[in-house]
Formats: sequence, structure tokens, C-alpha cells
Amino acid sequence: MSLVNPTSRSKASSKPSARRAETARIYAHPLPIIFPEPTYTFLGLSLTRPLNPHCTALLDPITRSAWVENSGDAAILWQRGFFGKGDLSRSEPSWLARQINARKMKGKGLTSEEITAKRRAERKQFKLDRAKAMAAAAAEAEVAFKEEGRVIAPGIAPDGTRIIPSAATWKPTSISVPSEESPPDDTPDELREEIEPIQDLEHLQLSLQEAFFLVWALDCLTVLHPETNEPLTLAEIWNAFQNAHMSSLAPLLALPPPRFDNPFLVSYIAYHHYRSLGWVVKSGVKFCVDYLLYKRGPVFQHAEFAIVVIPVYEDPQDQANSPFKLQNAEPFTWSWLSTINRVNSQVQKTLILSYITIPAESRVPSKVLSSPACFAHYSVREVVLRRFIPARMRD
Amino acid sequence: MDDALERPRPQPATSTRDPAEEESSGDEDGGLDWTKLPKIGTVRPVIPKRGEKDFEPVPGGGSGLQAHVLDRSRAAMFDALKADRAISSKSASYGVWYPGISRVHVTVARGIHFSAMGHSAARPTPANDGSTKLQKRLELLPEEAIYLIERGSLFCWKDIQADLVGLGDVEGAPMSVQQAFAEMVGKEDLTLEKYQVFAYLRRLGYMVTRTDAPSPSYPVPPPRLANDAVPSSFFRRLTSLFSLFETKLFGFLRGTSNWRRPLRISRWIHHDKSYGKVFKSLRFMPSGHSVAPKSSCTLPVAPSSPYEIFYNLYKPSTNFRKTSPPQPDFQIVVVNARAAFVPSLYELTQLFDVLPETPPPLPRKRTTPAKVQPSPAAAIAPPAHASTFRRIFSWLLPSLTPPPTSPQYRPNPFAALKAGKKNIVIAAVDSGNISFFRFSQGAFEEWPTL
Repeated sequence: MSLVNPTSRSKASSKPSARRAETARIYAHPLPIIFPEPTYTFLGLSLTRPLNPHCTALLDPITRSAWVENSGDAAILWQRGFFGKGDLSRSEPSWLARQINARKMKGKGLTSEEITAKRRAERKQFKLDRAKAMAAAAAEAEVAFKEEGRVIAPGIAPDGTRIIPSAATWKPTSISVPSEESPPDDTPDELREEIEPIQDLEHLQLSLQEAFFLVWALDCLTVLHPETNEPLTLAEIWNAFQNAHMSSLAPLLALPPPRFDNPFLVSYIAYHHYRSLGWVVKSGVKFCVDYLLYKRGPVFQHAEFAIVVIPVYEDPQDQANSPFKLQNAEPFTWSWLSTINRVNSQVQKTLILSYITIPAESRVPSKVLSSPACFAHYSVREVVLRRFIPARMRD
Repeated sequence: MDDALERPRPQPATSTRDPAEEESSGDEDGGLDWTKLPKIGTVRPVIPKRGEKDFEPVPGGGSGLQAHVLDRSRAAMFDALKADRAISSKSASYGVWYPGISRVHVTVARGIHFSAMGHSAARPTPANDGSTKLQKRLELLPEEAIYLIERGSLFCWKDIQADLVGLGDVEGAPMSVQQAFAEMVGKEDLTLEKYQVFAYLRRLGYMVTRTDAPSPSYPVPPPRLANDAVPSSFFRRLTSLFSLFETKLFGFLRGTSNWRRPLRISRWIHHDKSYGKVFKSLRFMPSGHSVAPKSSCTLPVAPSSPYEIFYNLYKPSTNFRKTSPPQPDFQIVVVNARAAFVPSLYELTQLFDVLPETPPPLPRKRTTPAKVQPSPAAAIAPPAHASTFRRIFSWLLPSLTPPPTSPQYRPNPFAALKAGKKNIVIAAVDSGNISFFRFSQGAFEEWPTL
């Protein structure tokens, strides 16, 4: 459910099925390009043109990201394909909505950040309650033992029910429930204009992989030079994005040293590969991995797969000469693999080792690196990793 | 270590776990609640179930109740450990260890273990008239012998080059468990890690055999058919040829492919104007395991690589005949987790090369049959390129086209992606702690979501 779009917020209190339909409507398009229903088709030919939104972003080489400052563009890129994240938000740029909520001071239409904060407070309260109940039960059992010599199981009432609250049944008591008789939804909009309107300070930040996918593969983003604000050509973007991973001293648009193992290229290969298969690809740094794959998008369901990008040099000599220390290029230890797998199985994600081969310089002439044509020389192979538990596989 | 604790247990450990317990995270958490032992514990030791932790330590030391509960648990534990662990002389087997050939010759075989362990081998045996002739006899590999000795089912003597005619002639005491470990680990490619994996899986009831026969008389599954039996190979080749033609033709219609702008949406072709087509046109990076990864080294995998399949694994429910074992359920590589790194892509490719392809998992059975989907192109997802050709072909020659696979059995893409196409189990053993991982050949390129 989008919280930025005002129409969705007004319907947020309706039934879950209606909310789901609303979500499906807002996020109906998997890419920023829209194909309108053809008015007229003849022999498989039609004249309707796809609608391309042509968004704009400003390159920021220091943060290695592209900033979409126009909130309309940001909404398009987020709602159609879940590109980028708000710089002041967890994912969807919801800072403005949060500020407006805070000003209205009522618990309706919470943003996802606020819901999380509320849940954490409740969880803390539950743990306190439980600890209190357990201490009381233990004290009671102690008294019973001392006075009557009886051993009773602490925490269980004489009739066999458990006194200690469990997470499944415990309900918060002190949290105020928002009253149903709140004023109709159109008043806040008026109020908002009466009070000084909040200026949206948030921008959508696109990773370089996302920006390049939008620029090159979909042709619906223009990237501006950080100083001159002039649109960059594809060749300039190609150089600038690779330079972003070189030392910060390199001039922005200078020709990067032709290397197949530039970190931007390797991570873009993985990003593009899974995007082209229809997955929504988001950063997975919170789960020890490089990318997370969502089926339709983060608003619909949890990520299903966690991708670890593992660069594989075709020629070990290239690795020895490389100025980059690519992550995961060195062999993994088993303890590190266990670490990643534990983290991800805890959150019900399947770990995928995604091996990207880096072409040998001796095999592929380095002049193909002057354009994205070099992508044809890389290759992607997945290995699915799961624990094998013999005790559970017996039948 | 105390010798009394080393004495073997006659109880098969597998029978005491119940299914609910297996759902929990295995051997990893909690201790044993000894007070839950049945009172017969002193006669026959039984592994107790785990209980909950009763209390947390109270600040200011333990209370009367806590001390009482602790004492009770401790007494129960000692009662359980006090039980005599004995074995009936009727179920004990006897054997002789021949270090020269790294085998134990089983002279008296008793008990159920020999249905899944041991193989017969012809060895020259001195006959009564002084000559030698080949005679078949039951032999054990080192890991099988240690396993039986450790659990007290086998009394094994070491061959001392004496003239062994009958059991009565063997002198001295049988080998101790320590001696068996010292003598047999290291023989016939057996490492301590490999033994630990073997013993763990055997205790769970799995049948475990060597993948590569250590001697010609060792039974191994028949070799798999090399070409995996693809009946429609001609059809498939034709399909791929046509799909190449199709890409070329459409490429021509759309204008030549341009690396500056990879996405080409034709203004005219209505078919082009869908997200499926857009995504498909962006899939131009080589992917998948069908082509081996290139390497500039002549030997991408070092000859010293520990990644070689060592054991075949059969589930306990397998109808297993040890003289003609079927194809295994799993194949296992055993490595020392401290000495080996996670396998490289080249090592994995080498392992996958010898493994069979497993079909995608079937969807869970539903109470009502799944609705038959009308569009065959959507239903048969994996060979994503075949659709146009198949449609034209079936229109031209309806009788020749193979019927589309029933959509009712279309696997769930998530399940298929998670299962992968080929599976290898790698057991990484770190000083006795075994972690099993299943590495599967992923096939994301065959299951696009759009």
C-alpha cells in the first residue's frame, strides 16, 4: 500500500482484500514504461506507442548514487518497478507522509517505519510483562515448596493453564486505540494548507546499477552532471559509473582503465540478469548478501532469494594484477558460508551463490570495454545452497 | 577417558527419537532432561527426551526449590548412566582385520547390520589338501568395521600372520575401539572426517556405500545411461534451430541489435508491446550451467582438490540390496572444514558433470484437481523459446507434435528454483561437528517470473 499517494491513504482503513486490490492497482506496472491498451489491432500490428516517462536524476559520485529530486519522478520509479529508495526512509520515500502524520497526531495511515516502531514498543512491553509473570510464578512455587514441601511446576495454574503470557496470545493493553470517530479525511488536507506546508526534503536515490538499467536498458532516465547539470551521454555515463568505483581522485568523465573486473560491471551483470528475468532486485546488505530477489515487489511479499555475487576470474593472472579487491573473489571459508546461510534461513530466504565469470584479458580484446557490448562476454551461473539435514530427510 | 564409558551400547539409537523431536533443530540446543527417563532406565539405557529449562538462576544464589529440582535431575542422570551396557553373545559377530588388504574378514556374521554392510570378495584360501583356491568370503571396509566395533556388534582380531583355520585358533584379546581407530583410519582412503560422516548417517538408518569401488568385487550401482535418454532430441534440435531463425528474423524486423540501445520495441508489432517481451529482449547475457565456464588454465581444478564424491547415500526406506545397489538418493563429498575452502565454480562444475539431473519437484497434492490452463505456451514455462515454433508446427502437422505436458503437474517455480537441477551434498567436518550443505545447480534462466 502506498502511503505517499493520498488516494490510497484515504482507503487504507478498508478491508484487507480491498487494500490488496488497491496495492495491485498502484503497483500494476513492473517497469516505468507503460503499454496502453491498443485501440486498434490489425494482423498483429498496432499503432499505440509505449509511454515512456523520461525521468531525470542527478549523479552524485561521492555517494555512488543518482538522486531523483522530482517527487513525481520518484513516485513513478518507485511504483513501477521499485527502483531506488528514499534517502530518509527505509525503502519507499515516505518522509513527507511521516511528517504529515506526525503533525496530524493520530494513529491512522501509519507509514511502515511507524508501524515497525510501534511493534517494537509492544514487543518490549510483552517481554517485560512476561518476565514479571515468570518471576511471580517462581516466587509462588518457592513459597509452596518452603511451606508445604510441594513441588509445583512454576507458571502453571492448578487447573493446568499457563499463567506466563505467550507471544501468540498477549495483547497490548496500554496502547491507545485510534478512535473511529475521527473527522473525515478531507479536513487534514485543508488543515495542511492552513498551517505552513511541509517542504519535501527527501529524494529517491538510485544505485548506479539501477540508474544504468533505467538509462541503458529501458531508456527512461536522464542522468545530469553533478556540477554543470547538463545531461550526460551514454558514453559519459559508462565512464562515470566505472570511475565511481575507482579512487575518488579520478576525474568524473575520464576514460577508466579498461578492466573487465570493474566492480560496477560485475555487480551490474548480476543486477541486469535478475531484472531481465522479471525479479525485483533490491540491495541485500542487511542480510550479508549482495541482492535480494522479490517476486513482484517488496510490498507484495517477502524476498524469496538472497543472492551472493561471486566473481570468478577466468584467468587467475588477471586477479593477481587487479587494482580492485573484489568482494567474494577469494575462496570462502566454510564458517563464512555458514554465517550467511544461517542469517538467511532465519528469515526464510534461500541463499543463491551467483557466479559471474570475468572474461580473461588474454581472450577478449579490451576494446570491447568501450561500450556495453562487453556484457556478452560475461556469464552468470547460479548454485542454490541449502542445509541438508539427514535427520529430517529419512523418508 | 574412563573405560567404563567406552563400553558399547546395544540399543540402536535411531529408535528413540520421535518425529516431533526431529522437527526441532536437531542436536543443537538444550541438554537432556534426565528426570523424564522411564524407571526401567537401570535395566536398559534409553536416551531421554529433552525437557524445558525450569528456571533461571535467582540473584543471591539458588533457593531451596531449585536445589531440590537439581538434585533430582542429577540423581536421574546417574541412574541412567549406571545401567549396564551389555550385548548378547548370540548377536555378536566376529572378524579378523587384515592390514595388508585393508579389510576385515567376517568369520561369524550375526545381526541385521550385514543387510546393508559388507561385501563378498574372493580370496585365496588354503584348502585342506594344502593347495589354495579362491573362496568367497564376507569382508568389511574399514569404516564399516570401526562402526560395528564401536557399537559393540563386532569382535575383531588383528591378523597376526598365524595359521587361522578356525576361530578357536585366534589368540589374545580382540582389538579395542582405540586400536581399531588407530589401525583402520587412514586405510583405503578413509579419513576421520569420512568415518564420522559415515557413522552419523548409519546411526540415522541410511545406507552408505562407497561411490568408487575400492576393489573390483565391491558392488556399485550400474553406470547411468550417457545420453540421459532424450527421445525428442531431433525435435529439440529443430526447435532450437528455428528459434535462432526466429530471433534473427525478428531482429531484422526490429532493426539490428544495438549495444547503445538494447531495448527495441517495434512500433508496428503489437506482440512486442508487453512486459514479457521487454524482459525477454533484455535477456542477452550468457547464463546457465549448460555451457562449462571458460578458464585460461588447462586444469581449472587442481588435482589435489578434495572435492570428489565419496559416498552414495540411500534413504532408510530404500529397498536396498547390497549385491546390486540401485542409483543413490544422494551423493556426498566429505571435506575437512578447516583445511578446505568452499568449492570454486570449477570444482562445482566438475561435480555436477557426473551427477544426474533430477526432475523438478511435483506440486503438493491438492484436494481438487488444478484447473487446466488454456494456453500451452504459458503452461510449459521452461523451454521458453519453443512456443512460436510449436504453435506453427502443431498447426501444420497436428499429429506429429508431442502432446503438451499436463499443466496439472506443472511444478511450482519457487520449488523448482530451490530444488535446482543437480544436487550434491557436501559434508564439512570441523573436528567432529558435521555440517551438511546441499549445492544445487540453479536454473533461474529457465524460470523467468514474467
